[in-house]
Amino acid sequence: MINQIGNFSLFIALFASIFLIFQSSNVIRNKSKNLDGKIFSALSVQSLMVLISFFSLIYAFIVSDFSNETVYNNSHTTKPLFYKISGSWGNHEGSLLLWLLVLNIFLFIFFISSKKLLNKYRILTVLFQELIIIGFLLFIIFTSNPFLHLFPIPKEGTGLNPILQDPALAIHPPILYLGYVGTSIIFSSALAALVYGMVNKIWAKHIKKWIVISWIFLTIGILLGSIWAYYELGWGGFWFWDPVENVSLMPWFCLTALFHTIIVLEKRNIYQSWTIILSIATFSLSMGGTFLVRSGILNSIHTFANDPSRGIFILCFLLVLVLLAISIFFIFQKKLLKNFTKTFLVSKETAIIVNNWFMMFFLSVVLIGTVYPIFLEVINGSKISIGPPFYQKLIVPFLIPFLLFMAVGPKIKWIKDNLSKINYNQFILFILSIAISYLLVKLYGISYLLILPLFGLGFFLFFLTIKDFFSKNSTLSQKISHFGFSLFILSILFNGTLAKEFSSNMKVGDERKFLNKIIKFENIKIIEKNNYKSLVANFKISDEKSSISLNPEVRIYNQPRTLTSEAAINSTIYSDNFLVFNVIKDDGYYNVRYQFKPLMMWIWFSIILISAGGILSYLKKNE
Amino acid sequence: MKKIKLILYIFSFTLFFLNNLNAANSQQVDKISKNLRCLICQGQSVYDSQSDFALSMKILINKKINEGKNEKEIYDFLKNKYGEWIVYEPEISQNTILLWVIPLILFIFGGILIVRKVSIK
Repeated sequence: MINQIGNFSLFIALFASIFLIFQSSNVIRNKSKNLDGKIFSALSVQSLMVLISFFSLIYAFIVSDFSNETVYNNSHTTKPLFYKISGSWGNHEGSLLLWLLVLNIFLFIFFISSKKLLNKYRILTVLFQELIIIGFLLFIIFTSNPFLHLFPIPKEGTGLNPILQDPALAIHPPILYLGYVGTSIIFSSALAALVYGMVNKIWAKHIKKWIVISWIFLTIGILLGSIWAYYELGWGGFWFWDPVENVSLMPWFCLTALFHTIIVLEKRNIYQSWTIILSIATFSLSMGGTFLVRSGILNSIHTFANDPSRGIFILCFLLVLVLLAISIFFIFQKKLLKNFTKTFLVSKETAIIVNNWFMMFFLSVVLIGTVYPIFLEVINGSKISIGPPFYQKLIVPFLIPFLLFMAVGPKIKWIKDNLSKINYNQFILFILSIAISYLLVKLYGISYLLILPLFGLGFFLFFLTIKDFFSKNSTLSQKISHFGFSLFILSILFNGTLAKEFSSNMKVGDERKFLNKIIKFENIKIIEKNNYKSLVANFKISDEKSSISLNPEVRIYNQPRTLTSEAAINSTIYSDNFLVFNVIKDDGYYNVRYQFKPLMMWIWFSIILISAGGILSYLKKNE
Repeated sequence: MKKIKLILYIFSFTLFFLNNLNAANSQQVDKISKNLRCLICQGQSVYDSQSDFALSMKILINKKINEGKNEKEIYDFLKNKYGEWIVYEPEISQNTILLWVIPLILFIFGGILIVRKVSIK
């Protein structure tokens, strides 16, 4: 019953979509007058229907209705309620339904919050957004319907992949999607603004809210995924340059560039075409990301779904949207103001363009690194892997000029400034930073060539952003975000260079010496839980001053039958002690991996600070 | 008595030496295996994986080091056996030259674009 409701609601939403496309194009071709009321009701109906459909799916998951194929494939009666609910978007069909829901809700919010703007612009945005929505509706209904019926009804489901049964991962997809889908509004409204020649200060001020909100969700979404990877995958890292991670990073670079450029548009009314290009690119990357993840062509830990026909649908859909966007861009580009005069070399405008320059470079490295192997395989059949060394080699050297520009850029004034302002204080701070960095390198005996300038500039940025808190020339939100970023750079530098790790095969009672610590395998016991059995080990790690006890687990889930290692992590503000163990063979030995990771907490904290700056900026603009 | 002492000395010395050799070996095994893809896993390195494939791979690398092979020779050997796919850092070759060069070209291109939009005065 509930299945039919969910399915039926999707069809009503599809009709609403067709109706909206028809009506809005009528308004645009001046065939009918203001249809605000009609469009509003159709939008409400559509959002409500998708909402009903989404909740029907959640309901089917909660009551374990195995007549629903999606529920059968991804749930199990012994699973805790929380993961039954999160399981509804932890699979291909459900996650697309969530995409659709967010698309609808965002459009609805856009429509009611933009009443002050030109009516035609709003309607055209609705039209573009509906084109995206109808694509997703067709995709869901015909290739990935979450409400397919199973008969005879199975007694039990096959369960959710245990590594997905985790609180951080339960909320990671919705948050990330809010970010991804937020960019669709930016895309639609940028095209609409372009058509009506209103890419100006007023539009910038209005769309900036959407940029900020998408950026916040995207940042937090990536953070959650990264935290999850850190403690759940048991490799002790937080970023693996895995294709699916890269896919979320690409729109982030683009959105961060847009976030900065929109400020120039708002203040100075220049860079219109660039803003539009970035808006189109950001959404294309979000969509392209969904395509890459969902098509299964990526070899990655994250690719749960494997269905080429779906991939082809999204690919065609994406191509149509991008081609549409590009042709609209070239047709209406002449409407853009031609008041561009060259900006001065030393000005905030140029500083922001330099930021964009680096963002685009980082984006291109990640984009090419991610898609190159796919193309190469298609072209001449050779298979290559691109992993962390590639990204590090291309990105790390460029961080040096990037950090320098980031340190001095935000202080430069609009229109025209001069460099003689680089004052005594800044110079002292620069020397101090290099000196600190030199001492650190000597003290820890780090041999990597670039580490001296990286640490030096990291500290320089850190000091300057602190100093900025006492000056008045920028907003508090910017200060917090940039300070957060300096903290982030320093934390990953410390973490990357000073992390130590140790791995050994041990049995109960064994002791190993590592650095100045003693790692002792105290005991191991078996615990029975509702949906898994767990081997809980107890390790004691002691040095002269203190000792800590760590309890890593190996879980054997019953449905589907899978082994997962749960790392034991002891976090302090200085460092993390990370310990994970694996069963090798039945002779009583376990593979134990211990990692000492300095300043791990600060990596998370700094990203929270970066997002906090965004949140502050959003709240302030809403006043 | 002296003989026994001598034997003990030699014995403990060899043990010490072997131990050290092994420690140096395992560091190099770690370094190499971090740059290898575990072919039967989903996006995991040989170093991170506990699969049978990864374990036997680590033993193989260890053996190769004992045979006196250096890092490059080991990568080459594995590439011959399993294909280019196994290493995470593709070497610069006809196939991969664009991979390394495109981002740099784009960077330079971006720089030129900016210079054209900025007045130096």
